[in-house]
Amino acid sequence: MFQLPRPAGVPVRAALLLAAASVVIFLCTAALPGDAADVLGGGRATAEELARLRAEQGLDRPLPVRYLDWLSGVLTGEPGVSLITGRPVAELVAERAAVTLALAVAALALGLPLTTALAWAAVRGPRWARPAVNTLIVTGAALPQAVVAAALVAWLSTAWGAFPPVSMLPAGEPPWHRPDLLVLPVLTLALPTAAYGAALLRGAIADVVAQPYVRDAELRGLSPVTVLFRYVLPMVAAPATRLFAVLLGGLVAGTAVVEILFGLAGLGELLVTAISTRDVPVVQNVALLAAAVVVAGLLVADAAAPEAVRS
Amino acid sequence: MRSQFRRRTAAVVTAVAVLAGCAGNAPAAAPAPAGPPAAANDTVRYAAPGSPSNAVTDPHGLLPGESDMVRMALTYDVLTVPGADGSTRPRLATEWRPDKTLTRWRITVRDDATFSDGRPVRAADALFSLRRMGEKAAENFGRMAMFDLGASKVIDDTAFELVTRKPYAEVGRALEGATFVVPEGSDDFGEPVPGSGPFRPTARGGAQAVVYERNDDWWGPAPPSRFIEVRAVPDPQSRAQALLSGQVDLAGGVPATLAKQQEGNSAVRLLRRPGATLYPLVMRMDTEPFDDHRVREAVRLALDRRQLLDTVFLGYGEIGNDLITPKDASSPRDLPQRTRDLGRARKLMADAGLAGGVDLTLHTTTAYPGMDSAATLISQQLAGIGIRAEVSLEPADTYFSEIYGRKPFYLSYLGGIPFLDVVRVALTPGSPTNETAWKDPAWFAGLDEALAEADDARRSSLLADLQTELRDQGGYAVWALSDRLDLARAGLSGVPEGIGFASAFIDQVSLDG
Repeated sequence: MFQLPRPAGVPVRAALLLAAASVVIFLCTAALPGDAADVLGGGRATAEELARLRAEQGLDRPLPVRYLDWLSGVLTGEPGVSLITGRPVAELVAERAAVTLALAVAALALGLPLTTALAWAAVRGPRWARPAVNTLIVTGAALPQAVVAAALVAWLSTAWGAFPPVSMLPAGEPPWHRPDLLVLPVLTLALPTAAYGAALLRGAIADVVAQPYVRDAELRGLSPVTVLFRYVLPMVAAPATRLFAVLLGGLVAGTAVVEILFGLAGLGELLVTAISTRDVPVVQNVALLAAAVVVAGLLVADAAAPEAVRS
Repeated sequence: MRSQFRRRTAAVVTAVAVLAGCAGNAPAAAPAPAGPPAAANDTVRYAAPGSPSNAVTDPHGLLPGESDMVRMALTYDVLTVPGADGSTRPRLATEWRPDKTLTRWRITVRDDATFSDGRPVRAADALFSLRRMGEKAAENFGRMAMFDLGASKVIDDTAFELVTRKPYAEVGRALEGATFVVPEGSDDFGEPVPGSGPFRPTARGGAQAVVYERNDDWWGPAPPSRFIEVRAVPDPQSRAQALLSGQVDLAGGVPATLAKQQEGNSAVRLLRRPGATLYPLVMRMDTEPFDDHRVREAVRLALDRRQLLDTVFLGYGEIGNDLITPKDASSPRDLPQRTRDLGRARKLMADAGLAGGVDLTLHTTTAYPGMDSAATLISQQLAGIGIRAEVSLEPADTYFSEIYGRKPFYLSYLGGIPFLDVVRVALTPGSPTNETAWKDPAWFAGLDEALAEADDARRSSLLADLQTELRDQGGYAVWALSDRLDLARAGLSGVPEGIGFASAFIDQVSLDG
């Protein structure tokens, strides 16, 4: 994109990225057909009643005014109130953040080594196994979460009885009090994510292993694990860290299917339900939060990546 | 603080270890599926249809999910409730008595109810709550439309006068279910306001579920369970799985396919509530070809109701007789069942000048299970009389704002509501939601006459005649009614039997029954 002097450029870049994201999010919510007044009226309110509801909710104001109103709310720490429940969005998000973060972080913790292992196996595994690993990566990355969830439930719950098929977390307790209830949701998130990550990472690894010093190391008889950790991973650290930042953002924003299938009340379910009920303040803020996670991850990746290999 | 942090860290580490172990194919090391926690017999856990994201706290606006209705019915008292047999039962209101004109009603409320903050419940609180419902008419389907709440007034602490716009003999029924009473002057509903209901919300809550504790000061029959946990679970399959894995004691609204699988399972009990849901076929009477009575009748005669019931609801229900509220206490009981008669239907089409058939679009959606397959099957059945109905599957989230009340031919939805409620929301001339464009002046005069009839039996018979006329002349084809299916842990008792609002009053559930 554009270059700004470091390190002062980093926060500026982040702010610009988030501002751009906020405009896109706002325009997307504005483009949705219908609004919260239609939902509250249940399709059964008269035109005058709907007009009154819209006025009460500020939905009759021009788009730029609504956008600036939201933006100033975000900047002053009062991002808005749900149009459907009347509750502050910050409160709705706070109640659900723990579940979604627990899922996303655990899925990433599991997905990270799995991504690396799969990508390595696809490039440097036993020659006979590589086509199979590549097929596994492509298939796994393409599988919808609902299918993964159904397969895991059939295997680990119905057949083995190892884990419950749904996850009714105890009321008012943090999710990590019941890790057994998080296993299947986390696996459902982690497996396709790892396959997707491996699909993107294997190219970078292939480039590195083609380098003469890697060949040299291999010819010197170093074990594949040593080669991986000493010569390959440091060189792919920058793209890999960026990839993981994007994956984490995707996990935070992409938990909806898993949350609904397993009966968890998290940010994903909140986002999807709010879209369907046109609860614009909720949609905007949850989407912006997901964007912020991605941006923060990218910044961390940039900062963590060694200067020499930064592309 | 530090030790708590360490405990949490340990829990996370354990979680990751369990996950890692699992990824390494060692599911045997995993804990057994969750059973009820120790000493859980005083907690009934209910997975109700609804979404945790829509959990409203205002009892007088839109209650988007059944879970919301259940939470309100535990927290607040209502004036009257629908009985399982369709009659109106007293609750906070002990008596409702009209003057001779049936326009001024004296409503008496109990003198022994108190809000959770210790204040007594007074008639002023009840009238305040009804007025609030009136103000929020757009969000509660105009539930108070028959009342002139400005002219109504408080008489004393236990009585108020409720004024109706026209003579209205069914005031008891109009106060059923949703008339949640809150303290007079309540204006901030961001958090639940004090209620006088059988249970009280506890601090043990949040997005996942809310725990209610028995209100030992409640005036009514003591609830047998000390706690009720209400959890909104949007996916029907997940609700059923939650019950089957022992994580809840009652799962509301489970899929028929799953109910069928569990028929032989003695650990669970299938509860059926007849007549809970119908997807009436709407034919708009001011639009061709449905402006011709013969076409509407031909459609009703072309439907194979048994096949629809067996396919769409897997037989869990009963075939429809085109009565829009067959479970209403005033619904006519002695009408012959309408059956498929293709010969007569084709003749009616020919008489209407449509012997060569007609092309139509039939709109449907996936908002409720089976609506899409119902439309497909109806389209196939109507081909038998020359109606070439192309099924158009619409997005669920805009169906009730874009299709409902606007298109001439579509599948609608009704969830166990009484006849007079259907009249108010769907059969009022000039209203945007008069989906069939029903406007026969004589019929509405007959309705006013029925509602001005003080004698219960006579009024019921007048209302029955109106429903018969609507069935034969109107724009609805009601082909089947589906049961509401709940799964309960064996031994759970006290689940209410009725449909609609009746099903929300779960205060008498018990695990010891």
